[in-house]
Amino acid sequence: MDNINIAVADNSPMCSNNMIKLVNISKKYNAGIGEKRVLALDSLELEIHQGEVFGFLGPNGAGKSTTIKILMNLIYSDSGSAEIGGKDVRNPEARKVVGFLPENPYFYDYLTADELMWFGGKTAGMDLKSIRKRSDFLMTKVDLQNARKRSLRTYSKGMMQRAGLAFALIHDPDVVILDEPMSGLDPIGRKMVGDLLIELKQQGKTVFFSSHILNDIERFSDRAGIIIGGRLRLVDSLSKLLSVNSNLEEVFMKEVEAAEGEAAP
Amino acid sequence: MTLWPITLVTFKEGIRNRALYGITLFALLLFGATALVATMIPREVGKVSVDMALSTISFTGLLVVLFVGINLMAKDLDKRTIYTVLSRPISRSQYIVGKFFGMVLIIIATMGILSLLAMAVLVLMKMTFAADFFSRFSWQLIILADCLVVLMLILLSAVSFLFSSFTSSSFITLVLTIITYIIGESLSGVKALVESPAQAVGFTVSPLTRRMVEAAYYIFPNLSLFDIKVQAAHALTVSSSFVIWTVIYGLIYIVLSITLAALIFTKKEFP
Repeated sequence: MDNINIAVADNSPMCSNNMIKLVNISKKYNAGIGEKRVLALDSLELEIHQGEVFGFLGPNGAGKSTTIKILMNLIYSDSGSAEIGGKDVRNPEARKVVGFLPENPYFYDYLTADELMWFGGKTAGMDLKSIRKRSDFLMTKVDLQNARKRSLRTYSKGMMQRAGLAFALIHDPDVVILDEPMSGLDPIGRKMVGDLLIELKQQGKTVFFSSHILNDIERFSDRAGIIIGGRLRLVDSLSKLLSVNSNLEEVFMKEVEAAEGEAAP
Repeated sequence: MTLWPITLVTFKEGIRNRALYGITLFALLLFGATALVATMIPREVGKVSVDMALSTISFTGLLVVLFVGINLMAKDLDKRTIYTVLSRPISRSQYIVGKFFGMVLIIIATMGILSLLAMAVLVLMKMTFAADFFSRFSWQLIILADCLVVLMLILLSAVSFLFSSFTSSSFITLVLTIITYIIGESLSGVKALVESPAQAVGFTVSPLTRRMVEAAYYIFPNLSLFDIKVQAAHALTVSSSFVIWTVIYGLIYIVLSITLAALIFTKKEFP
């Protein structure tokens, strides 16, 4: 047993723990009655270690959201297994250690941000005192202190995104999964999310975020994966990705061209 | 314990829904009409006001189930609120059951307030008119009838949860629930009709129709069981065994519907 652990540790210089593990994940969608099923994910293999910020890069419709939804057990993979913190994602317990921000988050219209935080904390098994303390901290952090008693119906898109972030972090999760966390945010909001990502990294949290904005990936992630057409084409640390080409754009475009080349004949 | 946060959030979201104000206003108008109509038939004022008050409660409750209840589930699915809810350590079954309890609370709260209003109207009528118009008046039966209406509404809501677990749009759920309500209300009457001898009703019923009606009788909820408005208005006796069996029937139907909804929901994907 010890030997196996050591072997794993040797393979990954960052840390021995795989917080997120996807093995041979495939997923087909029904395109419509009588039509061929679309392959959204093709034997995806991915391991994300503890304390790592992993950027998931890909064009629109490449399978980023599908991967995240499989991790959150919102859709089910056709084959393979997905684990978070060593627990199968089909087990609700796996989500105890996870904070999740969906793309364009939406909450109950007539609830206030405070009630949303209460819901998030309660479902994670927190007591009232720690919920209050933690939401005070987070509401200040995401700059919603003045709006926390207002119903979410009155929130702007950016405010909703920030409320969503606070909701994802209310129970101080070890793993944070963010689907396009920067989308639709103004520069101030983007900076806030960026600062938060850095802070989470400093706290030793595992962050998995998707984006189609190269700059965000380049700035915040330790490792990145490039997914195109449902296939994970490249996974490496950012320093290695950038050692061959001068910037991520070149790396990315080369992969896109290669993918098109494979699909063409 | 995991159910409570979902239940409370559902309740808060539903009870603050603007549609509820409209429905309440509508109920107030109907109560006003109760007073007005009942005074036009002075001889029957007791019976008419009881019947109308109870009808107002059940009709308003129907609106709550159809427009607040179905909307609650639909919004979770349409606007993807469900992503944030299911990202918590909650199983799909817990989500459905918690949500349903929230809806039950909404029904009980709104119907509780409406029932108090209805009783205020009845007290007012009793004070205005001579006591002999209320010779056959029984608070006990009125309260019993009221409770059965609430149970019927909870049952209908459970059925709407079942529908929303497999339909893709809230409109279909709404239509199916309305159809279930109409069938459920008229089922026992239709069954009695097709089973009565041909010479009594004046036409023959094909065996196929009879079998279809019988099948429907066992599939759809028999909602007319829960309707004892007439008995309440006329203070007729209602046997306790009838009430007990109706309650048991309702509870079994609710448990089955929600269990099935939870099973279907567990398999459902949210792309």
